[in-house]
Amino acid sequence: MIEIVNLHKYFKQLEVLKGIDMQVTKGEVVCIIGSSGSGKSTLLRCINFLEKKNEGQIWVGGQLVQDTEIDIINLRRKVGMVFQRFNLFPHMTALENVMEGPLTIKKFDKVSARDIAFAYLDKVGLADKANEYPARLSGGQQQRVGIARAMAMEPEVILFDEPTSALDPELVGEVLKVMKDMAKEGMTMVIVTHEMGFAREVSDQVLFLHEGIVAERGTPRDIFELPQHDRLKSFLGQVCLTA
Amino acid sequence: MINNILEFFTTVVVFTPKFIPGVFMTFKLSVLSIMMGTVFGLLAAMLKLSHNRLMEAFTDFYVTIVRGTPLLLQLIFIFYGLPQLGIEFNSFFSAVIGLAFHNGAYISEIFRGAIESIDYGQREAARAMGMTKYQTLRRVILPQAIKRSVPALGNQFIIAVKDSSLASAITITETLMLSRQFVAATYNVFPIFFIAACYYLLITSGLSRLLLRVERRFKIYER
Ligand SMILES: Nc1ncnc2c1ncn2[C@@H]1O[C@H](COP(=O)(O)OP(=O)(O)OP(=O)(O)O)[C@@H](O)[C@H]1O
Ligand SMILES: [Mg+2]
Repeated sequence: MIEIVNLHKYFKQLEVLKGIDMQVTKGEVVCIIGSSGSGKSTLLRCINFLEKKNEGQIWVGGQLVQDTEIDIINLRRKVGMVFQRFNLFPHMTALENVMEGPLTIKKFDKVSARDIAFAYLDKVGLADKANEYPARLSGGQQQRVGIARAMAMEPEVILFDEPTSALDPELVGEVLKVMKDMAKEGMTMVIVTHEMGFAREVSDQVLFLHEGIVAERGTPRDIFELPQHDRLKSFLGQVCLTA
Repeated sequence: MINNILEFFTTVVVFTPKFIPGVFMTFKLSVLSIMMGTVFGLLAAMLKLSHNRLMEAFTDFYVTIVRGTPLLLQLIFIFYGLPQLGIEFNSFFSAVIGLAFHNGAYISEIFRGAIESIDYGQREAARAMGMTKYQTLRRVILPQAIKRSVPALGNQFIIAVKDSSLASAITITETLMLSRQFVAATYNVFPIFFIAACYYLLITSGLSRLLLRVERRFKIYER
């Protein structure tokens, strides 16, 4: 589905990603964990070219993605993204936010775009909020609209960058539940998260990123019960203490 | 005293309808220069933000010239100066072009500021969905930026109405020019200019109310 080979990323002199390799197969849930500044967001943003990589290859669906406008736009239509700060369009209602992809990008007519959007809003449990503007929704509701907006493009994979870390603790659960349902239905997902319990429960593969390299990878069992790397051990120790 | 007041009122009653052609001209100049100025302003803002060095330099030049010289001089230059270079417009066209050009420079700064004030996450969300740059601009950035520009734009529109009076310097018979002609004919300065002021106030306060309504309609998506 997605294959990343030897990805390097610099910000000026600072090498943030130092040769990342990763594979995501269809239907898989991959969680990326690691301490702040280890490059998790940068990795995710390089996958859909929101950041320009300096070196390495990205393959999607068996095709190498070139650094051209056409390739990048095609890739983005197949790879959705959910943001930490939601980034909903404030001048559109929840329904219009979700319709926007089918309508503007896929060029569906208004009626079918609306039907698709409504179905996805219903899926995230917000059918009754369809006509509200984002400013009148709670953080958890906004993030669920964000997820519905990504799903409405019917992408092959969705990237999540800390989807719950801007939320009040009591709102985290509703978003994680939606994501769990998606995982159950076989959606391919790459999730950067600090929610260790969630990562443990839903992932097929966990990557531990440390200083721009994948320091350890494996099943949730490998990572959480049999950590090898000292850094991972101390990271898990810290997270469990703070959690 | 009584006589003075009586004379004031009779002059006002007699001359108020005579102003109609001048007010109509003021109105025409205002509407055209606001509409064309908005188009110029939007174009210049787009060019300024195009990340193209040449285009940026071009719009900087435009804005610097317009903001750095008096509007009166710009109008005189277009109408009396350009013909020497073989570029000749009639007075009405010169006035509209000059005023629109002038408004466009200020409006471009308003749009630029508004576009730059839109959260970067908005652009990223749109691009990450697979929108082209143009779609991002049209569907996501501009609707929000235009909404944010409304108060400042309204201010500029009102200035545009008042600035149209400078067209009198290039032989346009608008409200101010007409008042001066009436004054020259009657020597009745106060009532005549009083009427002119009332007409300007009528236009600008009408415009203010219209703008307030637009602003309110845009408010729906805020808390
Ligand atoms: N646009 C940028 N310009 C310069 N440096 C950047 C930029 N974005 C990120 N960095 C740097 O790259 C490094 C990795 O950042 P990144 O945001 O990927 O970390 P992260 O693992 O997502 O951290 P967090 O858990 O805090 O979100 C950091 O040192 C950060 O300061
Ligand atoms: Mg991050």
